[in-house]
Amino acid sequence: MQKKATFKLLALGAVAVLALSGCSAAGNGGQMLDKLGDPEKTVSLLGWPGYAEDGSTDPAYDWVTPFETETGCDVTFKSYGTSDEAISLFKTGDYDAIAASGDATLRLIAAGDVQPLNTSLLQNYDGVYDFLKDRDFNTVDGKNYGVPHGYGANLLMYNTEEVSPAPTSWSVVFDGASEYKGKVTAYDSPIYIADAALYLMTHSPELNITNPYALDEDQLAAAVELLKAQRENVGEYWSDYLKAIQAFDTGDTVVGTTWQVIKNYLAADTPAAVVLPEEGATGWSDSWMVSSKAKSPNCAYLWLDYIISPQANAAATEYFGEAPATPDACQYGSEGFCETYNAGDTEFESQLWYWTTPTEKCLDGRTDVKCTDYAKWTTAWQEVKG
Amino acid sequence: MAKSMPAIALKGLTKSFGTTKAVDNLNLEIGQGEFFSMLGPSGSGKTTVLRMIAGFEYPTSGTVALAGQDVTNLAPFDRDVNTVFQDYALFNHLSVFENIEYGLKVRKISKAERTERVNEALRTVRLADFGDRKPAQLSGGQRQRIALARAIVVKPKVLLLDEPLGALDLKLREQMQIELKQIQRELGITFIFVTHDQEEALTLSDRIAVFNNGRIEQLGTPQELYEKPASEFVAGFVGTSNIFSAEQAQVLFGKKTKVALRPEKIEVVTRGGNQARVIEVIYLGSFIRLILDVQGIQIKATVDSGVFHRDQTVQIKMNVTDLVAL
Amino acid sequence: MVNAVGKAEVERPSLAHRISTTLYSKPKLRLRLLLSAPVTWLGLVYIAALLALLVTAFFTVDSFTGEIKPGFSLQNFTDLFTNSLYSTVTLRTIGIALGVTIVDVLIALPIAFYMAKIASPRTRGILLISILMPLWASYLVKAYAWRSVLSNVGIAAWLLRPIGLDTPGYSLLGAGITLGYLWLPYVILPIYASLEKVPSNLLEASSDLGAKTFTTLRKVVFPLILPGIVAGSIFSFSLTLGDYITINIVGGASQMLGNLVYGNVGVANNLPMAAAIALVPVVIMFGYLTAVRKTGALDNL
Repeated sequence: MQKKATFKLLALGAVAVLALSGCSAAGNGGQMLDKLGDPEKTVSLLGWPGYAEDGSTDPAYDWVTPFETETGCDVTFKSYGTSDEAISLFKTGDYDAIAASGDATLRLIAAGDVQPLNTSLLQNYDGVYDFLKDRDFNTVDGKNYGVPHGYGANLLMYNTEEVSPAPTSWSVVFDGASEYKGKVTAYDSPIYIADAALYLMTHSPELNITNPYALDEDQLAAAVELLKAQRENVGEYWSDYLKAIQAFDTGDTVVGTTWQVIKNYLAADTPAAVVLPEEGATGWSDSWMVSSKAKSPNCAYLWLDYIISPQANAAATEYFGEAPATPDACQYGSEGFCETYNAGDTEFESQLWYWTTPTEKCLDGRTDVKCTDYAKWTTAWQEVKG
Repeated sequence: MAKSMPAIALKGLTKSFGTTKAVDNLNLEIGQGEFFSMLGPSGSGKTTVLRMIAGFEYPTSGTVALAGQDVTNLAPFDRDVNTVFQDYALFNHLSVFENIEYGLKVRKISKAERTERVNEALRTVRLADFGDRKPAQLSGGQRQRIALARAIVVKPKVLLLDEPLGALDLKLREQMQIELKQIQRELGITFIFVTHDQEEALTLSDRIAVFNNGRIEQLGTPQELYEKPASEFVAGFVGTSNIFSAEQAQVLFGKKTKVALRPEKIEVVTRGGNQARVIEVIYLGSFIRLILDVQGIQIKATVDSGVFHRDQTVQIKMNVTDLVAL
Repeated sequence: MVNAVGKAEVERPSLAHRISTTLYSKPKLRLRLLLSAPVTWLGLVYIAALLALLVTAFFTVDSFTGEIKPGFSLQNFTDLFTNSLYSTVTLRTIGIALGVTIVDVLIALPIAFYMAKIASPRTRGILLISILMPLWASYLVKAYAWRSVLSNVGIAAWLLRPIGLDTPGYSLLGAGITLGYLWLPYVILPIYASLEKVPSNLLEASSDLGAKTFTTLRKVVFPLILPGIVAGSIFSFSLTLGDYITINIVGGASQMLGNLVYGNVGVANNLPMAAAIALVPVVIMFGYLTAVRKTGALDNL
């Protein structure tokens, strides 16, 4: 830890010196790269915890060192806890590339914090699942801004002893939540409103919600009302997945939204199961993006190409607990890795609504109404929690 | 004054702290209206006795009776005695008036009577106009009087004073001594006065108990103590004495017993006395103290006037009748 | 000759000696030099930061890109006063802070009194150490410890279920208990310090004058230790007012003012709104201190 911090300081210092002396490869102003130049000496990355392990957490997990050896780019990695923290950190301009979820990507693109990608410079891009390419969370106006890292679903987890019959619908945490009053959990973020909207897509068809991230005022109000009712039964919200693990292990939480990785980390004797409910689920597909102020754009491109190479992608996504971005990764992961996370299962995938930043311009194509943007969702979420 | 019932009666009073006996089997009766002093060096047990009378300490054994009533196990607030503390123990968050009023207030005395009695007490201690001040705004002497007023306003049968003048300068102390005596006479209540200042005790008291090592060395009037000290300790502690061992007495007076002799009983004469050499001359205003050497024995003498210098040879006269056998 | 020697002495002093002499003869200069560094620090770091907070509260933020737009807008304050969310959370936070403070003071008083006036020096030392010891452990560790105590399978449930009660669980009460535990040392210590300064003979004087124990406590001890109680309550009150971690760990689904601030910084990336909300506890503390001053509790400090 100490070593990492020292290294980071040194790296920052080095960057600062370079920037001051004016002889660094200055940012290219957000223009797309035509061809790759010589790699710079360093690259600074921002991502979810576990997205770039260099063996300092556990020597068995290290896919950063091979990259450094191969390219000569020294990696500095900083992790963040929430998408919103990621945006705050990235805005400092200290990072060359970021792994961002769909609820952050559009905001970064709109603010001009990231540059369009020339995917022809990425040798491994062809191997990426087609269903992850050119989606509305990584592509705007035909320009691609991010390469997929991996994806996963916000699943429903339940305690198999306390919750019966085994739930097949999200109704167990919404309309039927009172049965488990005080023991229901939910994800603590404005983006969780989409989970309520997804539920309403099936259960309140009269609202005409076609995309849980494109809600007009009335649709948002309906989702908020559902969440406020849920609030009465929620024991606690989680944003720290370790807290979620602990609460499930002690039985303080018996049902609620979860990630596959949480299920994987539960104590062996905790009776729990996860299910993809019939309504489908929200999920995330994370994208690596290059900063428009990148000081090391070449190294950043090299990293992007590296992280979607089958071997590195398998290591990174399996470590975090999500499906890889490329089918070739399956052969490098451990036995059953791709099955656990339903990688490449298009039927599973088709039921997922990847996190996307809600914007005023409706993402479902409606033009007759204004949709509610993320700021409105944030206020709404605080009101839900009360 | 009715002497039949003593104001205070202590019987077999003993107080141990761990293995040390601070007070050792004390028997004492103090009469009503008496100005009684407990005199002794620090650690002699006098303050412990006072605290047991007040109820701040409970005796290890023995009894305390107030006006014939056994109060040994009563709390301070159930005893009809009041204390003037050494460092006054005034309530700094209350005004002078409120300080004095305190004891009346907790006794639920009416507002009108309280005001009247507090003002009377303030007049008694000659601080009638100081009611609104805070104790911190007063001088040491004034604070001392407020402490006194606070104690007497509740009209206790016995007033306990724990070295109340110890913190005052000499001039103020002398003035307060006179006032204390007057107040005691006016109120007619029993004063028990603890002091280590023998002069103060002699000046004020009807009777004095001299304490040493938790016991009373001698009990008597100031005159008895001064004139007829019962022990070497009393002779040395009360006033100034020349104390001669049996051997020295043999040399000086031809009597082989330990004796004491007050310095002022020694006369400097022109002839017919013992040869003495002046070692030191101490000028004390109203009198002069001489430290003399007579045949290798040091003697303190007091003379009213005269001119003396060191190494001068004088003649002194010591009367055998002035000697007190110890 | 004396003069000559004196003169020679005066001409010779070193620079350091002359500076010392100047400083010695000019107490005001001395004071200014002594205070200039800390005052500058205080001014820059503390006052300036507070002013920056105030100014930021009038800015707005571009809702989509998250860029802060300087300018003057009362929008944040309009939201603050019209949206019932903020008044609800503010009242809840004050309620918790008051509850924690009152309970802490009630627990601290007898402990502090026992330590200051009754316990032997040895016992006092042991007690003092056991009160200070938890301060060595991280706040987070203690909060997480309470998370396990209050859990469904924790000690609280184990102790309380046999007598027909249950653990308060992760709830406002749970958070209140945890906060009360966390701040207790900060309440005990100033009360203990003020009690220790109350001379024992004042208690004797009071009982000597006829006051029973409770009257003595009320009329003599209480007014004298009131500044200590106030100091302790300022700690527990303001620390609770600003908390957002404990409530997150053991508060279940509830939130306090700190969570709204954190939410606006961390989640919404709305620093101006966060600044506006952060002014609420500042104003509350200001009001609290003014009220305390009015009662005269600080006069004896």
